Amino acid sequence: MAPAMILFVVFVLYPILYIFNASMYDWDGINEAIYVGLQNYIEMFTDDRAFAVSIRNSVYWTFLTIFPQMILGFILAYILTSGVPLQNVFRIIFFMPAIVSPVVLGIIWQRIYAPFGGLLADLGREIGAMWLIQPYIADPKIAIFSTIFVNVWQWTGFSMLMYVAGLNGLSQEVLSAAEVDGADARQRIQFIILPMLRHVHQTLILLGVIGTLQTFALVFMLTKGGPNHATEMLPTYIFQKAFTLQSMGYASAVAVVLLVIALSASIFQVRVLGSRFTIGG
Amino acid sequence: MTRRRAGKMLAFVFVAALALIWLVPIIMMLVVSFMPPDQRAPRFGGLLISGVSLNNYVTVFEDAEIVRHFINSVAVTIPSVILVVAISSLAAFALARLKFLARDIWFYLLIMTLMLPIPTLVVPIFQINKALGLNDAYAGLILPYTALGVPFAIVILRSFFAGFPIEIEEAARLDGCTRFGIYWRVMMPVSWPAVAVVIIWQFMTSWNEFILALVTMNSVDVKPLTLVPLVYSGQFMMRPGPMFAILTLITLPVILVYYMMQRFMVSGLTAGAVRG
Repeated sequence: MAPAMILFVVFVLYPILYIFNASMYDWDGINEAIYVGLQNYIEMFTDDRAFAVSIRNSVYWTFLTIFPQMILGFILAYILTSGVPLQNVFRIIFFMPAIVSPVVLGIIWQRIYAPFGGLLADLGREIGAMWLIQPYIADPKIAIFSTIFVNVWQWTGFSMLMYVAGLNGLSQEVLSAAEVDGADARQRIQFIILPMLRHVHQTLILLGVIGTLQTFALVFMLTKGGPNHATEMLPTYIFQKAFTLQSMGYASAVAVVLLVIALSASIFQVRVLGSRFTIGG
Repeated sequence: MTRRRAGKMLAFVFVAALALIWLVPIIMMLVVSFMPPDQRAPRFGGLLISGVSLNNYVTVFEDAEIVRHFINSVAVTIPSVILVVAISSLAAFALARLKFLARDIWFYLLIMTLMLPIPTLVVPIFQINKALGLNDAYAGLILPYTALGVPFAIVILRSFFAGFPIEIEEAARLDGCTRFGIYWRVMMPVSWPAVAVVIIWQFMTSWNEFILALVTMNSVDVKPLTLVPLVYSGQFMMRPGPMFAILTLITLPVILVYYMMQRFMVSGLTAGAVRG
């Protein structure tokens, strides 16, 4: 336990206190820091369009990744535990994107979305489906949704695997009792299976929120947060402020906001949805 | 029964079609990596190539120090996996079985770390590493990866340990087993599925981690594979072939590890994280 505590203090607890302190300074990381009080926060909330956009994008990202991933993941898990042929092969296929680095996926999807020689554009020309030819990551209006789509593709298999594990753990007696009592497949899903998988839903929502709040590599490789901040997320914004623009103090202030959002989300989940991680000791 | 059969057929067709679409980006990565050097522009994003050539792989091994980056990734990933398994299994054992000061507070603090987005820590960890002289050093990534990986591992292992029948431990103790003996000879051997989940998870997250590696590893010599596309993005910008060969080489190890460990994954998740 002691090594866990030491690592925790050095690389988690101290950094948290550190960003609270650093957020009060105007600091380029090299020269002496100048104390500015809450100035960074005031600027962030009143006069920073990129910050506002990244907050909006986080909201989009939360809802448009978590629920599609859960719904599609459950459908796949339900089919892939019902004894269809090759179900293990399918499970591996759907899970595969989850283990590939988002850096790699960002570059691949650039070629899928590219307007010339890109997969979707070429396909659209070939089969005459012109609607497939879109400036997927170049148009500020749709770029964030194109990025979110990649995330859904990447993580649906993870949701599927969690539901497969959950479905395997369900009591077969209850299910066959329901079948004997005349409940059809739809009723069994709606009234028995989905409620009994409550803990899986909670885990996936929790992991989805964490995942949203740390989204970095995919956006960084696919769009760099652009065009004109249209796909900016809080992590890419922190990185840009800290390491491109050398505003360590301002970046720390953004990091504090991200931290506060993450902790409020976790408290909300523990209080309202019931925590997954406190059960079972 | 025939209706059920028809339903199953329909489900199979749906899943098979979706699986094919799902694989397209991965197949694309492989196909473009075998693109012949004389083909300038691949069609359909690279799904159609004019022939198969290993030329890109030769280029990558000649022009890029891919082996060196591979070694860097291994040198960061393997120690972090070993440290996470060692530290988290001892800590999970302590949390599940021993009583010590403020035990529950420590547990909640660790759980809180699970909710912590890594990007919030990137500025302070960069500064800590600078102060400790760990920028451009493997340890500058191994230590934070371990610190950030331990909480998830503890959650998985603790519930596995907690569900272990206490009678067996008592029997082991009567036979003269020490506390450490119970952990090492009794708990760990039967916890393989949960340990496998921890190994896969930590391997994948360390191997693929990006933002901390990006700020910690500045000199090209120590950069892990995950940074390689950025290093060579200028050099290979107009040549997707070598770039996609690099992407394939980055991806193969994780796919191999996952394939070897995946039979533990579902059972480990069922027993650990997802238990109701």
